[in-house]
Amino acid sequence: MGILDKVELPRKMCPVIFLLDTSGSMGGAPIGAVNAALESVLPELISMNDSNPDNEIKVAVLTFDFDAEWKFGGEELLLPEEVKDSWNDLDANGPTSMGAAFRALNEKLSTSHGFMKRASGSVAPVLFLLSDGEPTDDYQAGLQKLKNNNWYKIAVRVAVGYGDSNDDVLREFTMNAETVMHTDNPAELKKMIKFIAVTSSRVASQGGNMSTDDDNTGGVATALQAQGGSLNASADEDW
Amino acid sequence: MIEFVPLRKNQRVELADGSFVTVTDKLGEGGQGIVYRVRCDGGEERALKWFFIGYLNDPKKFYGHLKDNIQVGSPSDAFVWPEQLTKWVEGETFGYTMKIFPKDYQPFSKFLLARVNFANVRAMVDAALNMTVAFKALHNKGYNYQDLNDGNFSINPLDGKVLICDNDNVVGHGEYSGILGKPRYMAPEVVRGDKQPDKSTDRFSLAVVLFMLLIGYHPLEGTKTNYPALTNKYEKKIYGTEPLFIFDEKDASNAPHPAIHKNAPVMWNFFPSFVKAAFQQSFSQESLLNGKNRLLEQDWLNILMRLKSSIVRCPHCGEEMFLESDKATVCQSCKKTVKAAGYLNFAPRANHEVTVPIFNGVKLYDYHVDSASEDFATEAAVVLEKPGKFGLKNNSRFNWKVKTPEGKIFARQVGEVLVLAANAKIDFGNKNIAQVIVND
Repeated sequence: MGILDKVELPRKMCPVIFLLDTSGSMGGAPIGAVNAALESVLPELISMNDSNPDNEIKVAVLTFDFDAEWKFGGEELLLPEEVKDSWNDLDANGPTSMGAAFRALNEKLSTSHGFMKRASGSVAPVLFLLSDGEPTDDYQAGLQKLKNNNWYKIAVRVAVGYGDSNDDVLREFTMNAETVMHTDNPAELKKMIKFIAVTSSRVASQGGNMSTDDDNTGGVATALQAQGGSLNASADEDW
Repeated sequence: MIEFVPLRKNQRVELADGSFVTVTDKLGEGGQGIVYRVRCDGGEERALKWFFIGYLNDPKKFYGHLKDNIQVGSPSDAFVWPEQLTKWVEGETFGYTMKIFPKDYQPFSKFLLARVNFANVRAMVDAALNMTVAFKALHNKGYNYQDLNDGNFSINPLDGKVLICDNDNVVGHGEYSGILGKPRYMAPEVVRGDKQPDKSTDRFSLAVVLFMLLIGYHPLEGTKTNYPALTNKYEKKIYGTEPLFIFDEKDASNAPHPAIHKNAPVMWNFFPSFVKAAFQQSFSQESLLNGKNRLLEQDWLNILMRLKSSIVRCPHCGEEMFLESDKATVCQSCKKTVKAAGYLNFAPRANHEVTVPIFNGVKLYDYHVDSASEDFATEAAVVLEKPGKFGLKNNSRFNWKVKTPEGKIFARQVGEVLVLAANAKIDFGNKNIAQVIVND
C-alpha cells in the first residue's frame, strides 16, 4: 500500500426515481417513446457518475397500472449501468393506479425501512412522474402521505403529462407549475422525458444551488427554463 | 428570458473580429452551456463554449466581462483562457472560443474517483505545485477565481502538468461575478453569506483542492458531519457555520470514520509533519470562522517544494515515501522505520524551513540553488550513496563553493560530486548556502 493507492472517495447518493404510468392508454407509440427515452437517459446518467466526485446517481423505476410495481431498484437503488444491463421494455395495460404509486414511493423514501440508506448519506432525490390520464384510484390519500415525507419535501419534483393527463394532479405532485411539461406528440414525448430527466438529474447530482430553503424543485425549474432551447433539436436527428 | 438556441453541425458562427468558425462536433455539455468543436477558416480547431444564456442575469455585462478578460490576457499557460467571443447580437445566445484540451490530460474528478492515477508520487506533488503556481500567477495579475473547485482542473497523470478551464468567472480585484461557487470548495464566510468571494476565499478553496489531491478526501466531512440527508440546511452547517477539520488539533469530534472515509485516516499518516501542520493551519477554527491564518500561494510553494525533495524509496520495501529530514519516519507501506543520515539546512524562505534529507536518490531543484527561483522542475543536484558516504552531484547551472568546519574552502564544478561531510557549508551560488547537519 503506497501513497498513490487511494480508493474512490465516498460519494453521497443522488437517487433518481421514475414513476411511470403504464396504463392501457399508454399502449403503442407512447410507451415506445417512454422505453426509448429511458434507454437514452441511462447512458447520460452513467456518464454523469463517471465525472462527479460529489454524488453518485442511483436509480429506481416504479410503474403503475393495475397496481404499483417496482420494476428496478425497489429493494435497493441501482446504478444506472445495472438498470441498463437488465432493462426490459415496459408494457402498457390496465388502469392508472397513481395513488398506489404514491404509497409505494412513500414506503421506500425512508432511511430506516426504505432504500434511502447509505453510509455516506444522500442528497435530495429526483422524483420524476409521467402520466397520460386521470388517476383511477384515490391518489389524494397517497399524495397526503407523501407530503409528510421529509425526503419528498426536499426532493426535486418534476413531471411530464401526455395526451389526456390531468396536469393539475401533476402540479399537485410537483408543487411547482414550472416543473410540469405537457405534450401530445409521441416523438416530442421521448425528447421531453430525456430533457427533463437528464437536466434535473444533473442539477440534483451537482448540487450547490445554495438556496436558503430546502426545496430543490425551484432550482431545477430555473434550469429547465434556461436550457429549454435544447429541446429545439430532435434527439433522433443526425448530429 | 432569452431562449437558448443550440448550434447544429456545419453551422457557421461569426466571431467578434468578423471571421467565422464552423461547428464540427459536440464535445460536451455542462451546467453552464454546451461545448462544441469548431474549425476556423484557416483550418485550425478550437472549442466553442456556448452559454445557456437564461442563466445569465445580465448577458451584456457578462459578455463585456469576458471581453475584458480576453484583453488583459491569460495569467499563465496553465489557463485555458477565452480567445475570441462570438459576435454580439442583442437577444441571442453567445459564446467564446478556446484551445481544445490535449488528450493526455484527465479531469481531476477521475483522480478523486480512483479511475486515473499518477505515474509516481513526484507527478502528484508536481500537480499540487502546478496548481499553486497557476493561482499565484492569477492573483499576481490582479484576478481572483471566485468559483474554484475540482471541476476546473485537468491533470496529466504522467508529469503532473495542470490545465485550468472554465475561467469565465475570473474577475479583477474588488469585482464580483455574482457566482458563489460550489459549497464544498467555498470559503465558510462565503457560505455563511458574510462575504463575497475574493483572493482570500480563493486561497481557502486552493487549500481544499490541495487536500483533496494529496489526501484523497474532503477536509470538513467527517463523522460528525456525516448526515444521512445532505440538505441545504446541513450544507450551510458543514461548510459555513460549524465547519470543523477532520484532523483538528484540539477537537476530534469530526474525525474521519474509518469504514466510510477510507482514504483520509490512511493517507494522512503518509505525510510529513510540516504538511500536516500546513493543513491544520489552513483549516483551523481561526481560518474557518475568522478567515485568518490562511496560507498564501508562496507558503504552499515552499511547503510543497520541501515535500517534493523528501520523496525517497523505502530501503525495506521499495515503495515511495516522504522522509522527514531530522527524525525517523515510519514507512506506511511496510511499517519499518527509515531515518536520514542527516539533512541539508537552507535559510528559511518566507518563514518556512527549507530542508532536504540526505538519502539516496533525493533531488534538489533550481529552487534550492537560487533563492530567487521558483523553478521546481529543473533538477539541480542529486544525492548519491556509496558504502560509508553520501555525495551530492552538481547538476545545476552554478559551480559550488564549499567550506569545511575547519575553514577549508574549495569548489565543486558543474558535473562533479561533493562528498557530504558533517557541518560543511555549501554555497550553491549567489550566497545561497546550506549546511550539512548530521542526525543523532
